[in-house]
Order: sequence, then C-alpha cells, then structure tokens
Amino acid sequence: MSPPVLDTSTANEPLTDVDRLVDRRIVLCYYGAALTYMVISMLGGLLMALQLVRWNELQGIELLSPGRWRMVHTNAIAYGFLANAFLGTLHWTIPRLTMRPVLSKAFSYLIFAAWQVVVLATAGGILLGHAQAVEWGETPVWIDPVAQLGLLLVAINFMTPIMAARGPMYVTLWYFMAAFVWTFLTYAMGNFVPQYVVCGTNAGAIAGLFIHDLVGLFVTPLGWGLMYYFVPILLKKPIWSHGLSLVGFWGLAFFYPLQGIHHFLYTPIPMFLQYGAVISTIAVEFVVATVIVNFFGTLKGSGREVVTNLPIRWFYTGMILYGITCFQCALQVTLTFQELIHFTDWVVGHAHLVMFGVFSQWLMGIMTYLIPRLVGKPWYSRKLCEWHYWLSVVGIVVMFLDLTMAGLFQGWSWSSMRIWDHSTQVSEPFWIVRIFAGLSMFGGILVFIYNIYKTLAGPVEVIAAKAQPAV
Amino acid sequence: MLRIVDNDPGDTAPEPRTRRLWTVCCVVFFLGPAMYGFGTKFYELVRVFQGDSTGAFAVTPIVNYLLAGCGFLMLFAWAARNGMFRDIERAKFEMLENEHKLDEIKNFAPSHTYAASSRR
Ligand code: HEM
Repeated sequence: MSPPVLDTSTANEPLTDVDRLVDRRIVLCYYGAALTYMVISMLGGLLMALQLVRWNELQGIELLSPGRWRMVHTNAIAYGFLANAFLGTLHWTIPRLTMRPVLSKAFSYLIFAAWQVVVLATAGGILLGHAQAVEWGETPVWIDPVAQLGLLLVAINFMTPIMAARGPMYVTLWYFMAAFVWTFLTYAMGNFVPQYVVCGTNAGAIAGLFIHDLVGLFVTPLGWGLMYYFVPILLKKPIWSHGLSLVGFWGLAFFYPLQGIHHFLYTPIPMFLQYGAVISTIAVEFVVATVIVNFFGTLKGSGREVVTNLPIRWFYTGMILYGITCFQCALQVTLTFQELIHFTDWVVGHAHLVMFGVFSQWLMGIMTYLIPRLVGKPWYSRKLCEWHYWLSVVGIVVMFLDLTMAGLFQGWSWSSMRIWDHSTQVSEPFWIVRIFAGLSMFGGILVFIYNIYKTLAGPVEVIAAKAQPAV
Repeated sequence: MLRIVDNDPGDTAPEPRTRRLWTVCCVVFFLGPAMYGFGTKFYELVRVFQGDSTGAFAVTPIVNYLLAGCGFLMLFAWAARNGMFRDIERAKFEMLENEHKLDEIKNFAPSHTYAASSRR
C-alpha cells in the first residue's frame, strides 16, 4: 500500500490532516534536546577556555578533567545540537516537500529516544574515560553499534516519503538522500575501520577522511539542503538557478569524499595522497562558489529582506561567514600556509566559524522561523530575538578574529624557534578575549531559550489565516 | 481521505539564454578542474597497484572513494535515465507551489506571528 498523500487542493483542509503530514511535537522535542546540548556544550567550551588561562575550579576531579570536557564540548555540538536540530527540521521539511508523512510516527519517537540514549551515553562514556581514540568519533565503542542502527532507522524513516515522490526531485531532496547514505557510511568507516580493521598510518588516513567527511557529508548536505528549502520560501521566490544547484550537488558528491587527508598534510601519509587531497579541495572550492553565487543571485532585488526579515538575516550572515570559511580553506590547504598554522588556534577559530557561524546560525534562523509555527503563538518578544542574533554574531565574529590572530602569533613564535612558553605568553590575551566572546554567544542562547519559554507560557492568540508576514 | 496532488505548475517562463550560458560555463569551469583531480587520483591508484611500495598505505581511502564514486555514478545514470534533469527548473516552482498550498490551509501558517510581537 502506498503511503498516504496529502491533498492540499482545498483551502479548508482540516488541521488534523495537515498534522498528519507534519508532526509538530516531534520537531519541538528535537529542538528542546538540541538547545539543551548547546547549553551543555557551551558550558564545556567555557570551562576549557578558563582552563587555558589557568583558572580551573575543578582541578583534581578526574571525571571533570579538561581533556574530557573538551570532548564533551565537541561531541555535544556534533551529536547533541547539530544532529538533533537537523533531525527535528527534517521532520518538518521532508513531509512538506514530498507531501507525504514520514514512514511511521512511532518510529520517529523511537529514533528520538534512541538518539538521546546515544548522546547521553557518549557524554557519560567520555567523562568515565571510555572515549574511542578517533577524533570526532570519541563515541565509546560499545555505543557505536546502537548509533549505527539509529542512523539506519533515520534513513529508512525519511527515505520512504522521498522515494515515493514522483517527478524530477528538488535539489533539497537530493542533498537529504545523499546525506542519509553518506552519514551511515561515514560513521561506519570512522568508528569501525580504524578500530577493528586497519592500524598505523592507514588508520590515520581513514581518521582524516572521517573527520572531514562528517563535516562535508553529514553537516554540509543537510545544511545546504535546508537553505535551498527555507531561503526561497522566506523570500517567496524560487532559487536563482535550479540547474546550478544540481551542479553543486553532483560536484559535492564526486569531489568531496577524497579531501579529508588535507587535515594530515606533512604526516607520513604518502605525498601523492596529500596532493590529491589538495587538488580535490580546490575542486570543492569551485563547487562551493556555485552555491554561494546561487544564493546571492536569489537575493538580488530583495536585499532589504536581510534587514527586515530576521530568519533571512541569520541565513545570509551564515552565508557570508561560509564564504569566509571557504576562503580560509583555500589558504589552509596550501602546504606553505600549513607550515605556519598547523596545530595553532587558527584551526580552532576556523572550526568555530564553520560550526557555529555557519551551520548553527542557519539552524537558529530556521528555529526563529519555525517555533511560532510549531507552537501556534507569536514570539513573546521580537527584541529578544534580535538580542539573540546580535549576541551570537558579535560573539562568533570576535572569537573567530581573535583565534585567527592568536594562531598567526603562535605560528610565528614556533617558527622563530623561541621557547614554547613564549607562544603561550603571546596567546594569553587572545585566550582572555575568547572567554568574553564565548560569554556573548552563551548569553545569546540563554536569551533565546528564555524567549521560547515565555512564548510557550504566553496565551494562545487567534491567528488570521492569511495575514502577511512582516518579518 | 487523502489524495495524490497533481502539481503541474503550468507554463513556466522559458530560461533566458544568458542564464543557460551561465550554467554551462559553471559546469565547464567548476567541474573541469574537479575532473582533473579525480583523474590524477585514479592514475596514482594504478601506480599503487603496479607496485609502489609506499603507496600501499593509500589503498584503503582510495578504494573507499572509488566505491562511493561508483555508487554516485550509478545514481547519476539512473537519475538521467529517469528524466530527473529534464525541464530542470520545474522542481523549484513546484516546491514553492506546494508550500503556498500548505500555507493556505486555515490556521496552519501563523507566518505573521514573528512580527506580531515586535512592540516588545
Ligand atoms: C561558549 C562558547 C564557546 C567557547 C568558550 C568555546 C571554547 C572552546 C575551546 C576552549 C576549545 C578547545 C580549543 C583548544 O583545544 O585549544 C574549543 C574547541 C572546539 N569548539 Fe568551542 N567554544 C564555544 C562554543 C562552540 C560552539 C557553539 C561550537 C559549534 C557549534 C564549537 C565548536 C568547537 C569545535 C569544533 C572545537 C574543536 C576545534 C579543533 O579541534 O580544532 N564551540 N572550543
């Protein structure tokens, strides 16, 4: 039997039928979990930042030692915030794009519960010292099979409506479909192959592929896919060129998977493989250019929306920071530049820029747009939404500039063969500034959560069906 | 009872020539260098199989890549055969139409809600 399909041809469709299409509660559950992990992650980041200026109130407590907090910080972001926020948004986007509900509601709740178990077990495992020795794959080995199964269920639940849709597919669905397959394969490759199959340099090469593929084949396709959906909807006009967007998709598909080794330039991994990674990175730079050109082409003639429409402002701020990130990549991937910045805070600045400045900000924009629709109430305060935006953007821009400069100073200090302590002395002012930048970002999230709380607690307002948005 | 929607977007304006030219240019200039990267990698793999001892390290990631690449090549062929690239711009209009229809449904789209509270 084919899955039910929503007929939207009449404007008086009962609400219950639309609710069969999109389960708003599950989206909210995912958003609640995502924001909780964002708070935990930021607390971890702040603790690490304080540790770096030698202020550690938890000194001597092994369970809460800085190395473990750092892993909680990064894993809570990747698997707690990003994964949950993406999964929630997919529950909104895929049914609306395909006009078909996901395979099963019960399945969705099962996956939600299982994923929270995976994230909590990861945090617990890391604090107890069970981290797996794979960067970004620190999920303890005993939870890996559960996570892998969870990813399979996610793919089945979402692929069902996508496969049932007819006609040429919109680019967002191409990205989503690929992301489900890629994430499943990437997770398996990074968590099982170095653990059980290969070792030494070979395992290093696989780990390099894994770190980068997690960003490029899990986060990037979902992020881009969502932007291709939300930007046209909010601007109320189609994407500039669908053909160009498909060039971007197929370009990513063919040329992304090999560039992971660019994290390991100058290591014992054979040089030709390193050069290969450099070349495929350059190829991906071109692919990225197609995406950016397309989004700015779409904005042409609607530039004012960036000022007046807050979700659009979040999206395009992320887009600009994305351009900067990719420009950085073009520098970083050269061997000359690597000599200077490898292992420095430049890389940490780059990581925050892409993870928070781009993908988290896109998700924040989406949440700002969706939450009133999910709860059926207007935002408690638009001003607080603005505060959320400005605190986050100022925080991340300061953090990025600060760490970028710190990285250059550290690199110059090391290359001038001064003693190690010189580089940490040089870094100290930058590390102090980083704490304040982090506090600004943290403040933004707290303001957002407060605004959501007040919105939920506020009275239900009767909503005129065709009122025009004035966002 | 739910029914299948016919999403024919009706007549869409023909693609302007310049835009088509742009798309072709992007394909040539963006995918060209990328193909070069792929070709180089493939050549290196052949060399590994011909006995470059240091290259043995590289076999796993390259085989991984080739498997993924083959998968996508097959998907690409399938997509082309099934008309996914015919009338390539149609999907973007359909998507907006569907969204518009959903928003038309009473009470479902409190899209004004964001601004309603702007006084606070
Ligand atoms: C309260 C705000 C934050 C502070 C104070 C903070 C601080 C830190 C610190 C101190 C580190 C370790 C750097 C090192 O080892 O030298 C770190 C790493 C990292 N953080 Fe944050 N962070 C914050 C928020 C975030 C957010 C929101 C994200 C992602 C959305 C994020 C992503 C990362 C990543 C990916 C790394 C690993 C970087 C690498 O290994 O190169 N952080 N952070």
